[in-house]
Amino acid sequence: MQLSSIDIAAACAAFSAIWLCGLSRLPSMCTVLAVQTLLLAAIAGMLGFTHHDVQYLVLAGVVLAVKAIAIPLFLVWTARRLAVHRDIGMYLHPSLVLFCGCIMLAVGFFLAPQLAARTLGNPGAAGMALTLLLIGMLVMITRRLALSQVIGFLVLENGVFLYGLTQSHGMPLIFEMGVIFDVLVGVMIAGLVIFRLNRSFEHIDVTALRGLRH
Amino acid sequence: MSCWLLQLINICIIPLLLMGVIRKTKALLQTRYGAPVLQPFYDLAKLLRKSETISGTASWVFIWSPRVGLMIAVLTAVCVPWAGLVLPEGWRGASNFLFVLYLLALGKFLTMLAAMDTGSAFGGLGASREATISLLVEPALVIGLGAFALQTGQMDLTAMYAAPASPIVAALVGCALIIAALAELSRMPVDDPTTHLELTMVHEAMILENSGRNLALIEYAGALRACLYFGLAAQTLLHVWPGFATLAFGWHYALSLGALFLLGIAVAVAEGILVKLKWRAVPNYLAFATALSLLAALVAAAQG
Repeated sequence: MQLSSIDIAAACAAFSAIWLCGLSRLPSMCTVLAVQTLLLAAIAGMLGFTHHDVQYLVLAGVVLAVKAIAIPLFLVWTARRLAVHRDIGMYLHPSLVLFCGCIMLAVGFFLAPQLAARTLGNPGAAGMALTLLLIGMLVMITRRLALSQVIGFLVLENGVFLYGLTQSHGMPLIFEMGVIFDVLVGVMIAGLVIFRLNRSFEHIDVTALRGLRH
Repeated sequence: MSCWLLQLINICIIPLLLMGVIRKTKALLQTRYGAPVLQPFYDLAKLLRKSETISGTASWVFIWSPRVGLMIAVLTAVCVPWAGLVLPEGWRGASNFLFVLYLLALGKFLTMLAAMDTGSAFGGLGASREATISLLVEPALVIGLGAFALQTGQMDLTAMYAAPASPIVAALVGCALIIAALAELSRMPVDDPTTHLELTMVHEAMILENSGRNLALIEYAGALRACLYFGLAAQTLLHVWPGFATLAFGWHYALSLGALFLLGIAVAVAEGILVKLKWRAVPNYLAFATALSLLAALVAAAQG
């Protein structure tokens, strides 16, 4: 099987998502998220060069600026302001979630032929997109801090973006822009909510939110 | 024939030279002048000339384990293509990857036995830690090399590294091997080879009781094992470049040795930067190696 460079970049994005599963320090999670988004921007750029389409290049630039640089920096800044450093996970320790991530990759691999668009290439990238989606959900379920759940959501969103990009020639640029700025606003609001959460409860541990405050 | 001679020269010179280069790099990073690169050779010669002190409670196990351990290390080093040398056909069966891995584990088992044989408290402590680390490293090594074997269709290390490999599998297995090798060789994030505090030692605690020739044999076997693991990792990483398997002999050999020493320098730099992990964080660290190996196995299975 000959792998295209898009498939390899998608696979690297999925590997970085699995790597993220095993991390417990928030700044390193943000770094891995940034690298992952950088790979997606690279895929958009490669598509732009192969299809000779400027829209893809603009999209790659916006993804790079907003999702790969601005959002991770914002998350790191929020984490520093709230003085949270580690997330040890809720039910599973991160190193066990790492292995769950590997299982998600297997699921992605074996469902890839069913998910891939018939007319376009890159069936492998469809599986990797599913892997990103599943791992995003996994991170959201297994993490304790509200901030790492935002990171899980961003991984999930990356999966959706990767699927749309590689399986349908991408949506029109204007929609993609809308989605990206929605994500940006969403993360900003989540940051604000987490900040308020921290002010009223003095922690951002979601497991402790069920009990009444004394 | 010339291949054999070259392999023997490799076994005699490269391991200690690699250790010397690693120590020199570390010293330079700490802005010390450092011992000369050939210092491990002088150390070995000095240890061989010294007399031994053997604990009164030690039995024949203590005396024989370093000798058998060195024998095992030399045997595996002859058979395994860690320096990019390919052995003649008739000898290839000896480098089955499972056989090599468990032969190396046997050498480690003997070291642990000797450590407990002396009856010193630190020996037992070190042996227990070493056993735990080996247990955690084993899945990473077996699955990683197994993925490479699956992908090339060969169980044999020599044949495996002579065949072209998929870049993704090679990169994943190479990274897994480096992470696992650092733990297996008791190097920095897991164990500090230069520590003087017995309570934090792993490998050093096991060999506290050894001296003289006994210690020289252990040091040399350790250097050889380091070469084996780093060499395998370097070979695997070199296979990321698809043209590597079909290079002419001279280039192949030169690149292999260059990669081995580069990896050694990289390890020294990493040791200068990294902090030692808490003992309880070691399983988490090794989980990354196992996960990388599992990913490689998945990719190999999907491509095969």
